[in-house]
Amino acid sequence: MIEVRRLTKRYGPFTAVDDVSFEVGEGEVLGFIGPNGAGKTTTMRILTGFLPATEGDARVAGFDVFEAPMEVKKRVGYLPETPPLYRELSVGQYLAFVAELRGVPSKERFRRIGDAMERVGLRGWEQRILGSLSKGYRQRVGLAQALVHDPPVLILDEPTSGLDPAQTAEVRELMRELAGERTVVLSTHILREVEALCDRVVMIYKGQVVAAGTLDEVRQIAASVRYEVEVDADAATAATAIGGLAEVATVEPTERGLVVRAKTDPRPAIASLAHDRGWAVRGLTRVVPTLEEAFLAVVEREG
Amino acid sequence: MSGAWTILKKELRIYFVSPVAYAFLGVFLFLAGLFFYMGIALTGEASLRVMLGNLSIAMIFVLPMLTMRHFAEEQRGGTFELMMTAPLPLSSLIVGKWLASLVLCLLMLTGTLLFPAVLAYYGDPDWGVVFTSYVGLACCCAAFCATGLFASSLTNDQVAAGMGGIVLLLPFWLIGNAATYVDEAWRAPLEQLGFLTHLQSFTKGVVDTADLFWFACFTFVFLFLTFRTLESRRWR
Repeated sequence: MIEVRRLTKRYGPFTAVDDVSFEVGEGEVLGFIGPNGAGKTTTMRILTGFLPATEGDARVAGFDVFEAPMEVKKRVGYLPETPPLYRELSVGQYLAFVAELRGVPSKERFRRIGDAMERVGLRGWEQRILGSLSKGYRQRVGLAQALVHDPPVLILDEPTSGLDPAQTAEVRELMRELAGERTVVLSTHILREVEALCDRVVMIYKGQVVAAGTLDEVRQIAASVRYEVEVDADAATAATAIGGLAEVATVEPTERGLVVRAKTDPRPAIASLAHDRGWAVRGLTRVVPTLEEAFLAVVEREG
Repeated sequence: MSGAWTILKKELRIYFVSPVAYAFLGVFLFLAGLFFYMGIALTGEASLRVMLGNLSIAMIFVLPMLTMRHFAEEQRGGTFELMMTAPLPLSSLIVGKWLASLVLCLLMLTGTLLFPAVLAYYGDPDWGVVFTSYVGLACCCAAFCATGLFASSLTNDQVAAGMGGIVLLLPFWLIGNAATYVDEAWRAPLEQLGFLTHLQSFTKGVVDTADLFWFACFTFVFLFLTFRTLESRRWR
Protein backbone atom coordinates (compact mmCIF):
# COMPACT_ATOMS: atom_id res chain seq x y z
CA MET A 1 0.00 0.00 0.00
CA ILE A 2 2.90 2.30 0.81
CA GLU A 3 6.32 1.92 -0.76
CA VAL A 4 9.15 4.23 0.11
CA ARG A 5 12.40 3.87 -1.74
CA ARG A 6 15.68 5.63 -0.95
CA LEU A 7 13.89 8.74 0.24
CA THR A 8 16.13 11.68 1.08
CA LYS A 9 15.23 15.18 2.15
CA ARG A 10 17.80 17.90 2.63
CA TYR A 11 17.32 21.40 3.93
CA GLY A 12 20.45 23.12 2.72
CA PRO A 13 23.36 21.31 4.34
CA PHE A 14 21.08 19.55 6.84
CA THR A 15 19.82 16.10 5.93
CA ALA A 16 16.50 15.49 7.67
CA VAL A 17 15.75 12.16 6.02
CA ASP A 18 18.60 10.08 4.72
CA ASP A 19 18.06 7.22 2.29
CA VAL A 20 14.96 5.82 3.98
CA SER A 21 13.22 2.78 2.50
CA PHE A 22 10.31 0.76 3.85
CA GLU A 23 7.05 -0.82 2.83
CA VAL A 24 3.64 -1.11 4.42
CA GLY A 25 1.21 -3.79 3.29
CA GLU A 26 -2.54 -3.36 3.02
CA GLY A 27 -4.27 -3.39 6.40
CA GLU A 28 -1.03 -3.19 8.31
CA VAL A 29 -0.24 -0.80 11.11
CA LEU A 30 3.28 0.54 10.89
CA GLY A 31 4.84 2.25 13.87
CA PHE A 32 7.30 4.92 13.04
CA ILE A 33 9.49 5.48 16.06
CA GLY A 34 12.45 7.62 16.90
CA PRO A 35 13.41 10.49 19.16
CA ASN A 36 12.20 14.02 18.44
CA GLY A 37 13.89 15.44 15.39
CA ALA A 38 14.70 12.03 13.92
CA GLY A 39 12.86 12.75 10.67
CA LYS A 40 9.49 11.14 11.37
CA THR A 41 7.41 14.21 10.62
CA THR A 42 9.41 15.04 7.51
CA THR A 43 8.91 11.53 6.13
CA MET A 44 5.18 11.72 6.80
CA ARG A 45 4.95 15.12 5.18
CA ILE A 46 6.59 13.72 2.08
CA LEU A 47 4.15 10.79 2.03
CA THR A 48 1.17 13.13 2.22
CA GLY A 49 2.48 15.32 -0.59
CA PHE A 50 3.03 18.33 1.67
CA LEU A 51 6.78 18.37 1.10
CA PRO A 52 8.71 17.31 -1.97
CA ALA A 53 11.61 14.91 -1.46
CA THR A 54 15.12 15.77 -2.55
CA GLU A 55 15.77 12.26 -3.81
CA GLY A 56 14.09 8.89 -3.97
CA ASP A 57 10.44 8.07 -4.49
CA ALA A 58 7.33 7.11 -2.64
CA ARG A 59 4.14 5.41 -3.77
CA VAL A 60 0.91 5.45 -1.81
CA ALA A 61 -2.09 3.33 -2.83
CA GLY A 62 -0.42 2.67 -6.17
CA PHE A 63 0.22 6.31 -7.06
CA ASP A 64 3.51 8.14 -7.09
CA VAL A 65 3.51 10.97 -4.56
CA PHE A 66 5.42 13.28 -6.89
CA GLU A 67 3.82 12.42 -10.20
CA ALA A 68 0.19 12.04 -9.11
CA PRO A 69 -0.10 14.01 -5.86
CA MET A 70 -3.85 14.63 -6.28
CA GLU A 71 -4.60 10.90 -6.53
CA VAL A 72 -2.54 10.25 -3.42
CA LYS A 73 -4.16 13.10 -1.49
CA LYS A 74 -7.63 11.74 -2.23
CA ARG A 75 -6.71 8.41 -0.65
CA VAL A 76 -4.87 9.59 2.44
CA GLY A 77 -6.22 10.78 5.75
CA TYR A 78 -3.62 12.83 7.55
CA LEU A 79 -3.41 14.04 11.10
CA PRO A 80 -0.50 16.44 11.54
CA GLU A 81 1.25 16.85 14.87
CA THR A 82 -1.11 19.64 15.90
CA PRO A 83 -4.67 19.12 14.67
CA PRO A 84 -5.27 21.65 11.88
CA LEU A 85 -8.36 23.43 13.20
CA TYR A 86 -10.04 26.76 12.58
CA ARG A 87 -10.75 28.15 16.02
CA GLU A 88 -13.72 30.18 14.83
CA LEU A 89 -15.72 27.32 13.33
CA SER A 90 -17.93 24.76 15.04
CA VAL A 91 -17.13 21.06 14.90
CA GLY A 92 -19.91 20.49 12.36
CA GLN A 93 -18.94 23.42 10.13
CA TYR A 94 -15.32 22.38 10.19
CA LEU A 95 -15.96 18.75 9.28
CA ALA A 96 -18.37 19.80 6.54
CA PHE A 97 -15.66 22.02 5.11
CA VAL A 98 -13.02 19.30 5.23
CA ALA A 99 -15.39 16.77 3.66
CA GLU A 100 -16.12 19.17 0.82
CA LEU A 101 -12.44 19.98 0.45
CA ARG A 102 -11.58 16.29 0.19
CA GLY A 103 -14.23 15.82 -2.46
CA VAL A 104 -16.87 13.83 -0.58
CA PRO A 105 -20.01 14.00 -2.79
CA SER A 106 -22.64 16.29 -1.26
CA LYS A 107 -25.19 13.46 -0.95
CA GLU A 108 -22.86 11.40 1.21
CA ARG A 109 -21.39 14.25 3.21
CA PHE A 110 -23.93 14.27 6.02
CA ARG A 111 -23.63 10.53 6.62
CA ARG A 112 -19.83 10.52 6.44
CA ILE A 113 -19.52 13.37 8.92
CA GLY A 114 -21.90 11.53 11.26
CA ASP A 115 -19.86 8.32 10.91
CA ALA A 116 -16.58 10.06 11.58
CA MET A 117 -17.96 11.84 14.64
CA GLU A 118 -19.43 8.62 15.97
CA ARG A 119 -16.13 6.86 15.49
CA VAL A 120 -14.11 9.30 17.56
CA GLY A 121 -16.77 9.80 20.22
CA LEU A 122 -17.92 13.27 19.20
CA ARG A 123 -21.62 12.57 18.81
CA GLY A 124 -23.66 15.57 19.86
CA TRP A 125 -20.70 17.95 19.65
CA GLU A 126 -21.57 19.49 16.26
CA GLN A 127 -22.32 22.92 17.68
CA ARG A 128 -19.22 23.32 19.81
CA ILE A 129 -16.73 25.96 18.70
CA LEU A 130 -13.30 24.46 18.01
CA GLY A 131 -11.44 27.21 19.85
CA SER A 132 -13.21 26.28 23.09
CA LEU A 133 -12.39 22.56 22.99
CA SER A 134 -9.91 20.89 25.30
CA LYS A 135 -6.78 19.32 23.89
CA GLY A 136 -8.26 15.81 23.95
CA TYR A 137 -11.32 16.87 22.02
CA ARG A 138 -9.25 18.80 19.51
CA GLN A 139 -7.31 15.64 18.90
CA ARG A 140 -10.59 13.79 18.32
CA VAL A 141 -11.71 16.39 15.82
CA GLY A 142 -8.32 16.03 14.17
CA LEU A 143 -8.90 12.29 13.87
CA ALA A 144 -12.45 12.78 12.58
CA GLN A 145 -11.01 15.15 9.99
CA ALA A 146 -8.60 12.43 8.82
CA LEU A 147 -11.41 9.87 8.60
CA VAL A 148 -14.18 11.91 7.05
CA HIS A 149 -13.51 10.96 3.43
CA ASP A 150 -13.11 7.27 4.33
CA PRO A 151 -9.51 6.97 3.12
CA PRO A 152 -7.79 3.60 2.70
CA VAL A 153 -4.55 5.03 4.12
CA LEU A 154 -4.16 6.91 7.39
CA ILE A 155 -1.04 8.82 8.30
CA LEU A 156 -1.05 9.98 11.90
CA ASP A 157 1.70 12.08 13.38
CA GLU A 158 1.85 11.44 17.12
CA PRO A 159 -1.88 10.83 17.54
CA THR A 160 -1.66 10.58 21.34
CA SER A 161 0.78 13.37 22.11
CA GLY A 162 -0.36 15.65 24.89
CA LEU A 163 -3.35 13.56 25.88
CA ASP A 164 -4.07 12.44 29.43
CA PRO A 165 -3.92 8.69 30.18
CA ALA A 166 -7.67 8.13 29.78
CA GLN A 167 -7.74 9.94 26.46
CA THR A 168 -4.63 8.09 25.31
CA ALA A 169 -6.35 4.80 26.06
CA GLU A 170 -9.42 5.90 24.08
CA VAL A 171 -7.37 6.93 21.07
CA ARG A 172 -5.48 3.64 21.21
CA GLU A 173 -8.76 1.77 21.30
CA LEU A 174 -9.86 3.69 18.24
CA MET A 175 -6.60 2.88 16.45
CA ARG A 176 -7.11 -0.76 17.19
CA GLU A 177 -10.57 -0.59 15.60
CA LEU A 178 -9.21 1.17 12.55
CA ALA A 179 -6.37 -1.28 12.09
CA GLY A 180 -7.18 -4.10 9.74
CA GLU A 181 -9.65 -2.18 7.61
CA ARG A 182 -7.13 0.50 6.80
CA THR A 183 -3.43 0.88 6.30
CA VAL A 184 -2.08 3.01 9.11
CA VAL A 185 1.26 4.69 9.58
CA LEU A 186 1.64 6.29 12.96
CA SER A 187 4.59 8.01 14.51
CA THR A 188 5.33 8.18 18.17
CA HIS A 189 8.12 8.28 20.65
CA ILE A 190 6.06 6.42 23.21
CA LEU A 191 7.25 2.88 22.73
CA ARG A 192 4.48 1.27 24.71
CA GLU A 193 2.10 2.55 22.10
CA VAL A 194 3.92 0.77 19.34
CA GLU A 195 3.94 -2.44 21.32
CA ALA A 196 0.20 -2.13 21.86
CA LEU A 197 -0.78 -1.26 18.31
CA CYS A 198 1.66 -1.99 15.56
CA ASP A 199 2.31 -5.01 13.38
CA ARG A 200 5.59 -3.66 12.19
CA VAL A 201 8.08 -1.06 13.24
CA VAL A 202 10.49 1.25 11.51
CA MET A 203 12.96 2.78 13.88
CA ILE A 204 14.51 5.98 12.62
CA TYR A 205 17.37 7.92 14.13
CA LYS A 206 19.10 11.02 12.71
CA GLY A 207 17.19 10.58 9.49
CA GLN A 208 18.24 6.97 8.93
CA VAL A 209 16.42 3.70 9.38
CA VAL A 210 18.32 1.88 12.11
CA ALA A 211 15.97 -1.06 12.53
CA ALA A 212 12.89 -2.32 10.72
CA GLY A 213 10.68 -5.39 10.88
CA THR A 214 8.12 -6.98 13.14
CA LEU A 215 8.16 -6.04 16.82
CA ASP A 216 10.15 -9.16 17.74
CA GLU A 217 12.61 -8.69 14.93
CA VAL A 218 13.31 -5.12 15.89
CA ARG A 219 13.79 -6.05 19.51
CA GLN A 220 16.29 -8.70 18.55
CA ILE A 221 18.13 -6.56 16.05
CA ALA A 222 18.52 -3.86 18.59
CA ALA A 223 19.34 -5.75 21.78
CA SER A 224 19.73 -9.45 22.23
CA VAL A 225 17.78 -11.66 24.58
CA ARG A 226 19.37 -12.00 28.02
CA TYR A 227 18.96 -14.22 31.07
CA GLU A 228 18.84 -13.02 34.63
CA VAL A 229 20.23 -15.41 37.19
CA GLU A 230 19.93 -15.07 40.96
CA VAL A 231 21.59 -17.68 43.13
CA ASP A 232 22.57 -17.90 46.79
CA ALA A 233 26.31 -17.78 46.29
CA ASP A 234 29.18 -15.37 46.21
CA ALA A 235 28.69 -13.25 43.06
CA ALA A 236 32.28 -13.57 41.86
CA THR A 237 32.39 -17.34 42.31
CA ALA A 238 29.03 -17.80 40.60
CA ALA A 239 30.05 -15.54 37.73
CA THR A 240 33.22 -17.47 37.07
CA ALA A 241 31.46 -20.81 37.26
CA ILE A 242 28.59 -19.77 34.96
CA GLY A 243 31.03 -18.05 32.60
CA GLY A 244 32.78 -21.38 32.21
CA LEU A 245 29.68 -23.03 30.71
CA ALA A 246 29.87 -23.78 26.97
CA GLU A 247 26.59 -22.02 26.06
CA VAL A 248 27.40 -18.74 27.84
CA ALA A 249 28.97 -15.82 26.02
CA THR A 250 29.18 -13.14 28.72
CA VAL A 251 28.31 -12.79 32.39
CA GLU A 252 27.83 -9.45 34.04
CA PRO A 253 27.16 -8.96 37.74
CA THR A 254 24.43 -6.37 38.39
CA GLU A 255 22.31 -5.40 41.37
CA ARG A 256 19.54 -7.66 40.09
CA GLY A 257 21.85 -10.64 39.96
CA LEU A 258 23.91 -11.95 37.07
CA VAL A 259 22.98 -10.95 33.55
CA VAL A 260 23.94 -13.69 31.14
CA ARG A 261 24.05 -13.48 27.38
CA ALA A 262 24.25 -16.72 25.48
CA LYS A 263 24.07 -18.28 22.03
CA THR A 264 21.50 -20.88 23.07
CA ASP A 265 19.25 -21.11 26.09
CA PRO A 266 21.69 -21.69 29.02
CA ARG A 267 19.06 -22.23 31.72
CA PRO A 268 19.22 -26.04 31.95
CA ALA A 269 23.01 -25.90 32.21
CA ILE A 270 22.88 -23.16 34.87
CA ALA A 271 20.25 -25.10 36.83
CA SER A 272 22.29 -28.30 36.91
CA LEU A 273 25.43 -26.34 37.80
CA ALA A 274 23.59 -24.77 40.75
CA HIS A 275 22.35 -28.22 41.76
CA ASP A 276 25.88 -29.68 41.65
CA ARG A 277 27.29 -26.82 43.74
CA GLY A 278 24.36 -26.82 46.14
CA TRP A 279 23.26 -23.16 45.43
CA ALA A 280 19.69 -22.23 46.03
CA VAL A 281 18.22 -20.75 42.84
CA ARG A 282 16.07 -17.65 43.41
CA GLY A 283 15.61 -16.61 39.83
CA LEU A 284 16.37 -17.85 36.37
CA THR A 285 14.54 -15.83 33.77
CA ARG A 286 14.67 -15.27 30.03
CA VAL A 287 14.23 -11.56 29.34
CA VAL A 288 13.12 -10.28 25.94
CA PRO A 289 14.11 -6.63 25.77
CA THR A 290 11.32 -4.06 25.62
CA LEU A 291 11.22 -1.77 22.68
CA GLU A 292 12.37 0.94 25.05
CA GLU A 293 15.58 -0.95 25.73
CA ALA A 294 15.99 -1.80 22.07
CA PHE A 295 15.59 1.81 21.22
CA LEU A 296 18.09 3.00 23.80
CA ALA A 297 20.54 0.36 22.66
CA VAL A 298 20.30 1.61 19.10
CA VAL A 299 20.65 5.23 20.10
CA GLU A 300 23.70 4.35 22.20
CA ARG A 301 25.28 2.30 19.45
CA GLU A 302 24.76 4.94 16.79
CA GLY A 303 26.12 7.64 19.07
CA MET B 1 -12.35 25.49 -9.62
CA SER B 2 -14.96 23.88 -7.37
CA GLY B 3 -12.20 23.92 -4.77
CA ALA B 4 -12.11 27.72 -4.94
CA TRP B 5 -15.84 27.78 -4.17
CA THR B 6 -15.28 25.60 -1.08
CA ILE B 7 -12.54 27.94 0.12
CA LEU B 8 -14.61 31.03 -0.64
CA LYS B 9 -17.49 29.75 1.51
CA LYS B 10 -15.17 28.83 4.36
CA GLU B 11 -13.39 32.19 4.34
CA LEU B 12 -16.64 34.15 4.30
CA ARG B 13 -17.94 32.05 7.17
CA ILE B 14 -14.81 32.79 9.20
CA TYR B 15 -15.12 36.50 8.39
CA PHE B 16 -18.70 36.61 9.57
CA VAL B 17 -18.61 34.36 12.64
CA SER B 18 -15.91 36.58 14.11
CA PRO B 19 -16.39 40.31 14.71
CA VAL B 20 -13.79 41.08 12.04
CA ALA B 21 -16.15 41.62 9.13
CA TYR B 22 -18.51 43.82 11.13
CA ALA B 23 -15.67 45.90 12.54
CA PHE B 24 -14.33 46.55 9.06
CA LEU B 25 -17.74 47.37 7.67
CA GLY B 26 -18.20 49.85 10.51
CA VAL B 27 -14.80 51.52 10.12
CA PHE B 28 -15.15 51.74 6.37
CA LEU B 29 -18.62 53.29 6.55
CA PHE B 30 -17.45 55.76 9.18
CA LEU B 31 -14.58 56.88 6.96
CA ALA B 32 -16.88 57.11 3.95
CA GLY B 33 -19.30 59.25 5.96
CA LEU B 34 -16.47 61.53 7.06
CA PHE B 35 -15.21 61.97 3.50
CA PHE B 36 -18.75 62.52 2.25
CA TYR B 37 -19.35 65.31 4.74
CA MET B 38 -15.97 66.90 4.03
CA GLY B 39 -16.60 66.73 0.29
CA ILE B 40 -19.98 68.43 0.50
CA ALA B 41 -18.96 70.98 3.13
CA LEU B 42 -15.75 72.00 1.38
CA THR B 43 -16.85 72.11 -2.25
CA GLY B 44 -20.52 72.83 -1.85
CA GLU B 45 -21.32 70.73 -4.91
CA ALA B 46 -23.56 67.68 -5.11
CA SER B 47 -20.68 65.39 -6.04
CA LEU B 48 -19.07 62.27 -4.64
CA ARG B 49 -15.69 63.02 -6.17
CA VAL B 50 -13.97 63.85 -2.88
CA MET B 51 -15.49 60.95 -0.99
CA LEU B 52 -14.64 58.34 -3.61
CA GLY B 53 -11.12 59.68 -4.17
CA ASN B 54 -10.37 59.56 -0.46
CA LEU B 55 -11.93 56.14 -0.08
CA SER B 56 -9.52 54.69 -2.63
CA ILE B 57 -6.65 55.95 -0.46
CA ALA B 58 -8.29 54.71 2.75
CA MET B 59 -8.47 51.29 1.12
CA ILE B 60 -4.67 51.18 1.00
CA PHE B 61 -4.76 51.04 4.79
CA VAL B 62 -7.95 49.07 5.40
CA LEU B 63 -7.72 46.25 2.84
CA PRO B 64 -4.37 44.77 3.94
CA MET B 65 -5.87 44.50 7.44
CA LEU B 66 -8.62 42.44 5.93
CA THR B 67 -6.39 40.07 4.01
CA MET B 68 -3.54 39.82 6.52
CA ARG B 69 -4.86 36.77 8.31
CA HIS B 70 -5.32 34.60 5.23
CA PHE B 71 -2.04 32.76 4.73
CA ALA B 72 -0.31 34.06 7.86
CA GLU B 73 -2.95 32.46 10.05
CA GLU B 74 -3.09 29.22 8.06
CA GLN B 75 0.64 28.82 8.41
CA ARG B 76 0.65 29.56 12.09
CA GLY B 77 -2.37 27.41 12.96
CA GLY B 78 -1.10 24.45 10.95
CA THR B 79 -4.16 24.49 8.71
CA PHE B 80 -1.94 25.26 5.75
CA GLU B 81 -0.83 21.65 6.02
CA LEU B 82 -4.48 20.59 5.82
CA MET B 83 -4.94 22.65 2.66
CA MET B 84 -1.80 21.35 1.02
CA THR B 85 -2.56 17.71 1.79
CA ALA B 86 -6.11 17.94 0.44
CA PRO B 87 -6.73 17.29 -3.26
CA LEU B 88 -6.93 21.02 -3.92
CA PRO B 89 -4.75 22.87 -6.45
CA LEU B 90 -2.82 25.76 -4.93
CA SER B 91 -4.33 28.10 -7.50
CA SER B 92 -7.86 27.26 -6.27
CA LEU B 93 -6.82 28.02 -2.72
CA ILE B 94 -5.46 31.44 -3.71
CA VAL B 95 -8.38 32.34 -5.96
CA GLY B 96 -10.87 31.26 -3.26
CA LYS B 97 -9.22 33.44 -0.66
CA TRP B 98 -8.93 36.37 -3.03
CA LEU B 99 -12.60 36.11 -3.97
CA ALA B 100 -13.62 35.96 -0.32
CA SER B 101 -11.80 39.18 0.55
CA LEU B 102 -13.10 40.78 -2.63
CA VAL B 103 -16.68 39.87 -1.73
CA LEU B 104 -16.25 41.45 1.69
CA CYS B 105 -14.77 44.61 0.13
CA LEU B 106 -17.60 44.86 -2.35
CA LEU B 107 -20.02 44.56 0.55
CA MET B 108 -18.28 47.48 2.22
CA LEU B 109 -18.55 49.45 -1.00
CA THR B 110 -22.24 48.57 -1.28
CA GLY B 111 -22.72 50.06 2.18
CA THR B 112 -21.40 53.39 0.97
CA LEU B 113 -24.20 53.56 -1.62
CA LEU B 114 -26.07 55.20 1.23
CA PHE B 115 -24.28 58.47 0.39
CA PRO B 116 -25.28 58.75 -3.27
CA ALA B 117 -28.81 58.03 -2.02
CA VAL B 118 -28.58 60.96 0.42
CA LEU B 119 -27.25 63.09 -2.39
CA ALA B 120 -30.11 62.11 -4.66
CA TYR B 121 -32.58 63.20 -1.98
CA TYR B 122 -31.18 66.74 -1.83
CA GLY B 123 -29.74 67.19 -5.28
CA ASP B 124 -29.26 65.60 -8.64
CA PRO B 125 -26.04 63.61 -8.91
CA ASP B 126 -24.72 62.36 -12.22
CA TRP B 127 -25.58 58.67 -11.98
CA GLY B 128 -23.28 57.72 -14.84
CA VAL B 129 -20.30 59.15 -12.97
CA VAL B 130 -21.39 57.52 -9.71
CA PHE B 131 -21.60 54.18 -11.46
CA THR B 132 -18.19 54.37 -13.18
CA SER B 133 -16.58 55.65 -9.97
CA TYR B 134 -17.80 52.57 -8.17
CA VAL B 135 -16.46 50.37 -10.97
CA GLY B 136 -13.11 52.06 -10.45
CA LEU B 137 -13.20 51.46 -6.70
CA ALA B 138 -14.16 47.84 -7.27
CA CYS B 139 -11.04 47.54 -9.45
CA CYS B 140 -8.98 48.97 -6.59
CA CYS B 141 -10.50 46.38 -4.26
CA ALA B 142 -9.52 43.53 -6.57
CA ALA B 143 -5.98 44.83 -6.94
CA PHE B 144 -5.38 45.68 -3.28
CA CYS B 145 -6.78 42.36 -2.07
CA ALA B 146 -4.27 40.59 -4.31
CA THR B 147 -1.43 42.69 -2.87
CA GLY B 148 -2.64 42.00 0.67
CA LEU B 149 -2.75 38.27 0.01
CA PHE B 150 0.78 38.38 -1.31
CA ALA B 151 1.97 40.13 1.86
CA SER B 152 0.18 37.48 3.89
CA SER B 153 1.94 34.69 2.04
CA LEU B 154 5.34 36.12 2.95
CA THR B 155 5.12 35.72 6.71
CA ASN B 156 3.25 33.85 9.40
CA ASP B 157 2.88 36.95 11.51
CA GLN B 158 -0.46 38.64 10.94
CA VAL B 159 0.62 42.13 11.94
CA ALA B 160 3.70 41.96 9.74
CA ALA B 161 1.47 40.80 6.89
CA GLY B 162 -0.89 43.75 7.41
CA MET B 163 1.91 46.30 7.60
CA GLY B 164 3.67 44.64 4.68
CA GLY B 165 0.56 45.01 2.55
CA ILE B 166 0.36 48.73 3.32
CA VAL B 167 4.07 49.17 2.60
CA LEU B 168 3.68 47.39 -0.73
CA LEU B 169 0.72 49.55 -1.73
CA LEU B 170 1.99 52.97 -0.61
CA PRO B 171 4.44 53.45 -3.51
CA PHE B 172 1.64 52.94 -6.02
CA TRP B 173 -0.18 55.85 -4.43
CA LEU B 174 2.79 58.17 -3.83
CA ILE B 175 4.57 57.59 -7.11
CA GLY B 176 1.83 59.47 -8.93
CA ASN B 177 2.51 62.55 -6.77
CA ALA B 178 6.27 62.15 -7.11
CA ALA B 179 5.88 62.22 -10.87
CA THR B 180 5.11 65.95 -10.70
CA TYR B 181 8.61 66.71 -9.48
CA VAL B 182 10.68 64.84 -12.05
CA ASP B 183 11.82 65.52 -15.62
CA GLU B 184 9.31 65.56 -18.40
CA ALA B 185 10.76 62.36 -19.83
CA TRP B 186 10.17 60.39 -16.66
CA ARG B 187 6.84 61.87 -15.75
CA ALA B 188 4.55 59.82 -17.99
CA PRO B 189 5.95 56.38 -17.15
CA LEU B 190 5.93 57.16 -13.40
CA GLU B 191 2.37 58.40 -13.62
CA GLN B 192 1.41 55.17 -15.27
CA LEU B 193 2.65 53.26 -12.22
CA GLY B 194 0.38 55.11 -9.80
CA PHE B 195 -3.13 53.76 -9.39
CA LEU B 196 -4.72 57.22 -9.00
CA THR B 197 -3.86 57.94 -12.62
CA HIS B 198 -5.85 54.90 -13.65
CA LEU B 199 -8.71 55.76 -11.34
CA GLN B 200 -9.04 59.24 -12.83
CA SER B 201 -11.01 58.42 -15.94
CA PHE B 202 -13.42 56.31 -13.87
CA THR B 203 -14.18 59.32 -11.66
CA LYS B 204 -14.88 61.37 -14.78
CA GLY B 205 -17.49 58.91 -16.00
CA VAL B 206 -15.33 57.03 -18.48
CA VAL B 207 -14.51 53.34 -18.36
CA ASP B 208 -11.27 52.99 -20.30
CA THR B 209 -10.28 49.41 -21.21
CA ALA B 210 -6.63 50.42 -20.80
CA ASP B 211 -7.30 51.22 -17.13
CA LEU B 212 -9.29 48.03 -16.63
CA PHE B 213 -6.37 46.17 -18.15
CA TRP B 214 -3.94 47.91 -15.80
CA PHE B 215 -5.92 46.83 -12.74
CA ALA B 216 -6.29 43.31 -14.13
CA CYS B 217 -2.53 43.07 -14.63
CA PHE B 218 -1.82 44.47 -11.17
CA THR B 219 -4.14 41.87 -9.63
CA PHE B 220 -2.75 39.03 -11.69
CA VAL B 221 0.88 39.88 -10.92
CA PHE B 222 0.28 39.83 -7.17
CA LEU B 223 -1.81 36.65 -7.28
CA PHE B 224 0.94 35.05 -9.33
CA LEU B 225 3.61 36.21 -6.85
CA THR B 226 1.50 34.71 -4.06
CA PHE B 227 1.40 31.43 -5.94
CA ARG B 228 5.16 31.40 -6.44
CA THR B 229 5.86 32.33 -2.83
CA LEU B 230 3.67 29.58 -1.41
CA GLU B 231 5.04 27.04 -3.83
CA SER B 232 8.64 27.91 -3.07
CA ARG B 233 7.94 27.67 0.68
CA ARG B 234 7.49 23.94 0.22
CA TRP B 235 10.93 23.58 -1.30
CA ARG B 236 12.81 25.30 1.46
